[in-house]
Amino acid sequence: MFKAERFFRVLLLAYPRQFRREYEREMVTVFRDCYRATAPRFRALGVSAFWTHIFLDLVQTVPKEHFENFGRKSLFMKNLKRDALALIGCAAIIVVAFVLLTYGRKHEVSSILIFGYALDALVTAGVAGNLVVFLLVKITRFNPLRIALWTFLIVNAVPAVVLAIMSSRLSPASRPGATVIRYAVSFVFWLGIHWMWAQWQNGERLAPSNGQ
Amino acid sequence: MTRDKSDPEGLLPLRPSVFHILLALSDGDLHGYAIMQEVAEHTGGQIKLGPGTLYGAIKRLLSDRLIVEADERPDPELDDERRRYYRLTDFGQRVLKAEVRRISKMVAVAQGKRLIPKPRN
Repeated sequence: MFKAERFFRVLLLAYPRQFRREYEREMVTVFRDCYRATAPRFRALGVSAFWTHIFLDLVQTVPKEHFENFGRKSLFMKNLKRDALALIGCAAIIVVAFVLLTYGRKHEVSSILIFGYALDALVTAGVAGNLVVFLLVKITRFNPLRIALWTFLIVNAVPAVVLAIMSSRLSPASRPGATVIRYAVSFVFWLGIHWMWAQWQNGERLAPSNGQ
Repeated sequence: MTRDKSDPEGLLPLRPSVFHILLALSDGDLHGYAIMQEVAEHTGGQIKLGPGTLYGAIKRLLSDRLIVEADERPDPELDDERRRYYRLTDFGQRVLKAEVRRISKMVAVAQGKRLIPKPRN
Protein backbone atom coordinates (compact mmCIF):
# COMPACT_ATOMS: atom_id res chain seq x y z
CA MET A 1 0.00 0.00 0.00
CA PHE A 2 2.69 2.52 1.00
CA LYS A 3 4.81 1.62 -2.02
CA ALA A 4 1.81 2.06 -4.33
CA GLU A 5 0.94 5.39 -2.73
CA ARG A 6 4.53 6.59 -3.00
CA PHE A 7 4.61 5.59 -6.65
CA PHE A 8 1.33 7.43 -7.27
CA ARG A 9 2.80 10.55 -5.64
CA VAL A 10 5.71 10.33 -8.09
CA LEU A 11 3.26 10.06 -10.99
CA LEU A 12 1.46 13.17 -9.77
CA LEU A 13 4.64 15.17 -10.42
CA ALA A 14 3.60 15.10 -14.09
CA TYR A 15 0.77 17.58 -13.35
CA PRO A 16 1.36 21.35 -13.30
CA ARG A 17 2.56 22.66 -9.94
CA GLN A 18 -0.52 24.79 -9.36
CA PHE A 19 -2.86 21.83 -9.94
CA ARG A 20 -0.80 19.66 -7.58
CA ARG A 21 -0.78 22.34 -4.92
CA GLU A 22 -4.57 22.49 -5.05
CA TYR A 23 -5.54 18.81 -5.43
CA GLU A 24 -2.57 16.53 -4.69
CA ARG A 25 -3.62 15.70 -1.14
CA GLU A 26 -7.16 14.84 -2.19
CA MET A 27 -6.01 12.85 -5.20
CA VAL A 28 -3.78 10.76 -2.94
CA THR A 29 -6.70 10.22 -0.53
CA VAL A 30 -8.91 9.10 -3.41
CA PHE A 31 -6.15 6.85 -4.72
CA ARG A 32 -5.82 5.29 -1.26
CA ASP A 33 -9.58 4.68 -1.11
CA CYS A 34 -9.61 3.13 -4.59
CA TYR A 35 -6.62 0.95 -3.75
CA ARG A 36 -8.20 -0.27 -0.51
CA ALA A 37 -11.49 -1.00 -2.28
CA THR A 38 -9.80 -2.89 -5.10
CA ALA A 39 -7.08 -4.68 -3.09
CA PRO A 40 -9.25 -7.58 -1.83
CA ARG A 41 -9.99 -8.46 -5.45
CA PHE A 42 -6.33 -8.17 -6.46
CA ARG A 43 -4.94 -10.99 -8.46
CA ALA A 44 -2.39 -10.63 -11.26
CA LEU A 45 -5.05 -9.33 -13.67
CA GLY A 46 -6.74 -7.15 -11.06
CA VAL A 47 -3.53 -5.33 -10.22
CA SER A 48 -2.72 -4.65 -13.85
CA ALA A 49 -6.29 -3.44 -14.53
CA PHE A 50 -6.07 -1.05 -11.58
CA TRP A 51 -2.75 0.44 -12.68
CA THR A 52 -3.83 0.58 -16.33
CA HIS A 53 -6.82 2.67 -15.24
CA ILE A 54 -4.54 4.97 -13.23
CA PHE A 55 -2.04 5.34 -16.12
CA LEU A 56 -4.73 5.96 -18.74
CA ASP A 57 -6.29 8.60 -16.52
CA LEU A 58 -2.88 10.23 -16.13
CA VAL A 59 -2.11 10.15 -19.86
CA GLN A 60 -5.49 11.73 -20.67
CA THR A 61 -5.48 14.45 -18.05
CA VAL A 62 -1.85 15.60 -17.70
CA PRO A 63 -1.64 17.23 -21.19
CA LYS A 64 -5.03 18.85 -20.64
CA GLU A 65 -3.98 20.44 -17.35
CA HIS A 66 -0.70 21.65 -18.85
CA PHE A 67 -2.55 23.09 -21.83
CA GLU A 68 -4.97 24.98 -19.57
CA ASN A 69 -2.10 26.16 -17.39
CA PHE A 70 -0.26 27.42 -20.47
CA GLY A 71 -3.42 29.23 -21.61
CA ARG A 72 -3.65 30.98 -18.24
CA LYS A 73 0.01 32.00 -18.42
CA SER A 74 -0.32 33.42 -21.94
CA LEU A 75 -3.43 35.38 -20.87
CA PHE A 76 -1.42 36.74 -17.93
CA MET A 77 1.41 37.71 -20.30
CA LYS A 78 -1.08 39.34 -22.68
CA ASN A 79 -2.55 41.41 -19.83
CA LEU A 80 0.93 42.32 -18.63
CA LYS A 81 1.92 43.50 -22.12
CA ARG A 82 -1.31 45.49 -22.45
CA ASP A 83 -0.76 47.20 -19.08
CA ALA A 84 2.86 47.98 -19.94
CA LEU A 85 1.77 49.41 -23.31
CA ALA A 86 -0.84 51.66 -21.64
CA LEU A 87 1.63 52.91 -19.03
CA ILE A 88 4.39 53.51 -21.60
CA GLY A 89 1.90 55.32 -23.88
CA CYS A 90 0.75 57.65 -21.09
CA ALA A 91 4.33 58.24 -19.90
CA ALA A 92 5.40 59.04 -23.49
CA ILE A 93 2.59 61.62 -23.90
CA ILE A 94 3.54 63.24 -20.58
CA VAL A 95 7.27 63.29 -21.44
CA VAL A 96 6.61 64.77 -24.93
CA ALA A 97 4.37 67.48 -23.42
CA PHE A 98 6.97 68.23 -20.74
CA VAL A 99 9.87 68.39 -23.21
CA LEU A 100 7.83 70.57 -25.57
CA LEU A 101 6.93 72.93 -22.74
CA THR A 102 10.51 73.16 -21.45
CA TYR A 103 11.84 73.77 -24.97
CA GLY A 104 9.18 76.40 -25.69
CA ARG A 105 9.90 78.28 -22.46
CA LYS A 106 13.67 78.08 -22.86
CA HIS A 107 13.71 79.26 -26.45
CA GLU A 108 10.58 81.38 -26.13
CA VAL A 109 8.87 79.68 -29.03
CA SER A 110 5.59 81.54 -29.18
CA SER A 111 3.72 78.80 -31.09
CA ILE A 112 4.49 76.37 -28.24
CA LEU A 113 3.92 78.88 -25.46
CA ILE A 114 0.38 79.54 -26.71
CA PHE A 115 -0.37 76.00 -25.56
CA GLY A 116 2.03 76.25 -22.62
CA TYR A 117 -0.57 76.43 -19.89
CA ALA A 118 -2.58 73.63 -21.42
CA LEU A 119 0.57 71.49 -21.63
CA ASP A 120 1.29 72.26 -18.00
CA ALA A 121 -2.17 71.06 -16.96
CA LEU A 122 -1.85 68.08 -19.24
CA VAL A 123 1.37 66.94 -17.56
CA THR A 124 0.15 67.50 -13.98
CA ALA A 125 -3.26 65.92 -14.45
CA GLY A 126 -1.76 63.17 -16.65
CA VAL A 127 0.72 61.97 -14.02
CA ALA A 128 -1.80 61.97 -11.15
CA GLY A 129 -4.84 60.84 -13.16
CA ASN A 130 -3.23 57.96 -15.03
CA LEU A 131 -1.70 56.58 -11.85
CA VAL A 132 -5.09 56.65 -10.09
CA VAL A 133 -6.88 55.15 -13.13
CA PHE A 134 -4.32 52.35 -13.43
CA LEU A 135 -4.63 51.43 -9.75
CA LEU A 136 -8.44 51.60 -9.71
CA VAL A 137 -8.72 49.48 -12.86
CA LYS A 138 -6.49 46.86 -11.21
CA ILE A 139 -8.19 46.74 -7.81
CA THR A 140 -11.87 47.36 -8.66
CA ARG A 141 -14.31 45.89 -11.13
CA PHE A 142 -15.76 49.20 -12.36
CA ASN A 143 -15.84 50.08 -16.03
CA PRO A 144 -12.34 51.47 -16.92
CA LEU A 145 -13.80 54.28 -19.04
CA ARG A 146 -16.07 55.35 -16.19
CA ILE A 147 -13.09 55.28 -13.82
CA ALA A 148 -11.14 57.48 -16.26
CA LEU A 149 -14.10 59.90 -16.61
CA TRP A 150 -14.46 60.47 -12.86
CA THR A 151 -10.75 60.45 -12.09
CA PHE A 152 -9.86 63.01 -14.77
CA LEU A 153 -12.87 65.08 -13.83
CA ILE A 154 -11.59 65.27 -10.26
CA VAL A 155 -7.85 65.68 -10.99
CA ASN A 156 -8.62 68.50 -13.45
CA ALA A 157 -11.49 70.19 -11.66
CA VAL A 158 -9.79 70.42 -8.25
CA PRO A 159 -6.60 72.22 -9.41
CA ALA A 160 -8.63 74.30 -11.88
CA VAL A 161 -10.89 75.64 -9.12
CA VAL A 162 -8.09 76.02 -6.52
CA LEU A 163 -5.73 77.78 -8.96
CA ALA A 164 -8.51 80.00 -10.32
CA ILE A 165 -9.47 81.14 -6.79
CA MET A 166 -5.85 81.53 -5.64
CA SER A 167 -4.69 83.44 -8.72
CA SER A 168 -7.65 85.81 -8.59
CA ARG A 169 -6.84 86.61 -4.93
CA LEU A 170 -3.09 86.99 -5.48
CA SER A 171 -3.24 89.06 -8.64
CA PRO A 172 -6.27 90.99 -9.85
CA ALA A 173 -4.82 90.92 -13.39
CA SER A 174 -4.90 87.11 -13.55
CA ARG A 175 -7.45 85.32 -15.72
CA PRO A 176 -9.24 82.53 -13.81
CA GLY A 177 -11.15 81.65 -16.98
CA ALA A 178 -7.89 80.73 -18.72
CA THR A 179 -6.95 78.39 -15.87
CA VAL A 180 -10.29 76.65 -16.11
CA ILE A 181 -9.96 76.37 -19.89
CA ARG A 182 -6.50 74.75 -19.75
CA TYR A 183 -7.70 72.12 -17.30
CA ALA A 184 -10.80 71.57 -19.42
CA VAL A 185 -8.50 70.95 -22.40
CA SER A 186 -6.47 68.52 -20.30
CA PHE A 187 -9.69 66.73 -19.22
CA VAL A 188 -10.93 66.37 -22.79
CA PHE A 189 -7.51 65.24 -24.00
CA TRP A 190 -7.01 62.50 -21.39
CA LEU A 191 -10.59 61.30 -21.56
CA GLY A 192 -10.22 61.12 -25.35
CA ILE A 193 -7.06 59.03 -24.98
CA HIS A 194 -8.83 56.63 -22.59
CA TRP A 195 -11.87 56.46 -24.85
CA MET A 196 -9.68 55.52 -27.83
CA TRP A 197 -7.92 52.92 -25.67
CA ALA A 198 -11.29 51.44 -24.63
CA GLN A 199 -12.40 51.30 -28.28
CA TRP A 200 -9.19 49.53 -29.25
CA GLN A 201 -9.60 47.07 -26.36
CA ASN A 202 -13.19 46.31 -27.38
CA GLY A 203 -12.08 45.77 -30.95
CA GLU A 204 -9.40 43.34 -29.79
CA ARG A 205 -11.84 41.45 -27.57
CA LEU A 206 -14.40 41.04 -30.34
CA ALA A 207 -11.84 40.11 -33.00
CA PRO A 208 -11.86 36.36 -33.71
CA SER A 209 -8.77 34.68 -32.32
CA ASN A 210 -7.21 31.46 -33.47
CA GLY A 211 -7.77 28.29 -31.54
CA GLN A 212 -11.15 29.20 -30.09
CA MET B 1 -16.88 30.64 -30.64
CA THR B 2 -16.84 31.24 -26.88
CA ARG B 3 -19.47 29.94 -24.47
CA ASP B 4 -21.56 32.29 -22.37
CA LYS B 5 -20.76 31.04 -18.88
CA SER B 6 -23.59 32.89 -17.15
CA ASP B 7 -26.29 31.18 -19.21
CA PRO B 8 -26.98 27.50 -18.34
CA GLU B 9 -27.71 26.74 -22.01
CA GLY B 10 -24.34 28.26 -22.91
CA LEU B 11 -22.55 25.46 -21.04
CA LEU B 12 -24.31 22.64 -22.89
CA PRO B 13 -23.73 19.94 -23.91
CA LEU B 14 -21.90 18.75 -20.83
CA ARG B 15 -19.18 16.13 -20.99
CA PRO B 16 -20.45 12.76 -19.70
CA SER B 17 -18.07 12.85 -16.73
CA VAL B 18 -19.22 16.37 -15.78
CA PHE B 19 -22.89 15.44 -16.18
CA HIS B 20 -22.50 12.43 -13.90
CA ILE B 21 -20.57 14.41 -11.29
CA LEU B 22 -23.36 17.01 -11.17
CA LEU B 23 -25.95 14.23 -11.05
CA ALA B 24 -24.12 12.61 -8.13
CA LEU B 25 -24.06 15.93 -6.26
CA SER B 26 -27.76 16.56 -6.85
CA ASP B 27 -28.57 14.30 -3.87
CA GLY B 28 -26.31 16.21 -1.47
CA ASP B 29 -22.73 17.09 -0.58
CA LEU B 30 -20.13 14.46 -1.42
CA HIS B 31 -16.35 14.11 -1.26
CA GLY B 32 -14.20 13.00 -4.18
CA TYR B 33 -14.24 9.26 -3.58
CA ALA B 34 -17.99 9.24 -2.89
CA ILE B 35 -18.56 11.05 -6.21
CA MET B 36 -16.47 8.37 -7.97
CA GLN B 37 -18.50 5.58 -6.39
CA GLU B 38 -21.81 7.27 -7.15
CA VAL B 39 -20.86 7.80 -10.81
CA ALA B 40 -19.71 4.20 -11.19
CA GLU B 41 -23.00 3.05 -9.64
CA HIS B 42 -25.20 5.33 -11.81
CA THR B 43 -23.54 4.20 -15.00
CA GLY B 44 -23.34 0.51 -14.10
CA GLY B 45 -19.54 0.76 -14.08
CA GLN B 46 -19.38 2.22 -17.61
CA ILE B 47 -17.84 5.46 -16.40
CA LYS B 48 -15.03 4.99 -13.91
CA LEU B 49 -13.49 8.33 -13.07
CA GLY B 50 -9.79 8.35 -12.35
CA PRO B 51 -8.34 10.84 -9.83
CA GLY B 52 -7.05 13.12 -12.62
CA THR B 53 -10.37 13.20 -14.50
CA LEU B 54 -12.31 13.75 -11.29
CA TYR B 55 -10.22 16.63 -9.94
CA GLY B 56 -9.72 18.19 -13.38
CA ALA B 57 -13.53 18.28 -13.74
CA ILE B 58 -13.95 19.55 -10.15
CA LYS B 59 -11.46 22.35 -10.83
CA ARG B 60 -13.42 23.48 -13.91
CA LEU B 61 -16.80 23.12 -12.16
CA LEU B 62 -15.54 25.27 -9.28
CA SER B 63 -14.24 27.92 -11.64
CA ASP B 64 -17.55 27.94 -13.59
CA ARG B 65 -19.37 28.15 -10.20
CA LEU B 66 -21.44 25.05 -10.84
CA ILE B 67 -20.23 23.61 -7.55
CA VAL B 68 -18.70 25.03 -4.37
CA GLU B 69 -16.74 23.55 -1.52
CA ALA B 70 -19.18 22.78 1.30
CA ASP B 71 -18.43 24.41 4.65
CA GLU B 72 -19.87 21.70 6.82
CA ARG B 73 -19.50 17.94 6.39
CA PRO B 74 -22.45 15.53 6.69
CA ASP B 75 -20.99 13.43 9.50
CA PRO B 76 -17.85 14.99 11.01
CA GLU B 77 -17.29 12.22 13.56
CA LEU B 78 -17.22 9.40 11.05
CA ASP B 79 -15.21 11.17 8.46
CA ASP B 80 -11.63 12.10 7.65
CA GLU B 81 -11.52 15.84 8.30
CA ARG B 82 -9.00 16.37 5.50
CA ARG B 83 -11.57 15.47 2.87
CA ARG B 84 -13.22 18.26 0.97
CA TYR B 85 -16.94 18.04 0.29
CA TYR B 86 -18.51 19.58 -2.78
CA ARG B 87 -21.98 21.05 -3.18
CA LEU B 88 -24.08 21.78 -6.26
CA THR B 89 -24.85 25.52 -6.55
CA ASP B 90 -28.20 26.92 -7.73
CA PHE B 91 -26.54 27.71 -11.04
CA GLY B 92 -25.15 24.15 -11.20
CA GLN B 93 -28.66 22.84 -10.58
CA ARG B 94 -30.01 24.97 -13.44
CA VAL B 95 -27.27 23.71 -15.76
CA LEU B 96 -27.98 20.10 -14.75
CA LYS B 97 -31.72 20.54 -15.37
CA ALA B 98 -31.03 22.15 -18.75
CA GLU B 99 -28.82 19.20 -19.71
CA VAL B 100 -31.46 16.71 -18.59
CA ARG B 101 -34.05 18.57 -20.72
CA ARG B 102 -31.65 18.48 -23.68
CA ILE B 103 -31.13 14.72 -23.27
CA SER B 104 -34.90 14.16 -22.86
CA LYS B 105 -35.50 15.91 -26.19
CA MET B 106 -32.91 13.62 -27.82
CA VAL B 107 -34.61 10.61 -26.32
CA ALA B 108 -37.99 11.85 -27.63
CA VAL B 109 -36.49 12.21 -31.11
CA ALA B 110 -35.06 8.68 -30.89
CA GLN B 111 -38.48 7.39 -29.78
CA GLY B 112 -40.12 9.20 -32.68
CA LYS B 113 -37.74 7.39 -35.02
CA ARG B 114 -38.59 4.10 -33.25
CA LEU B 115 -34.98 3.58 -32.27
CA ILE B 116 -36.11 2.96 -28.72
CA PRO B 117 -39.59 2.04 -27.46
CA LYS B 118 -41.84 4.72 -25.95
CA PRO B 119 -42.33 4.36 -22.18
CA ARG B 120 -45.64 2.76 -21.17
CA ASN B 121 -47.90 4.93 -18.99
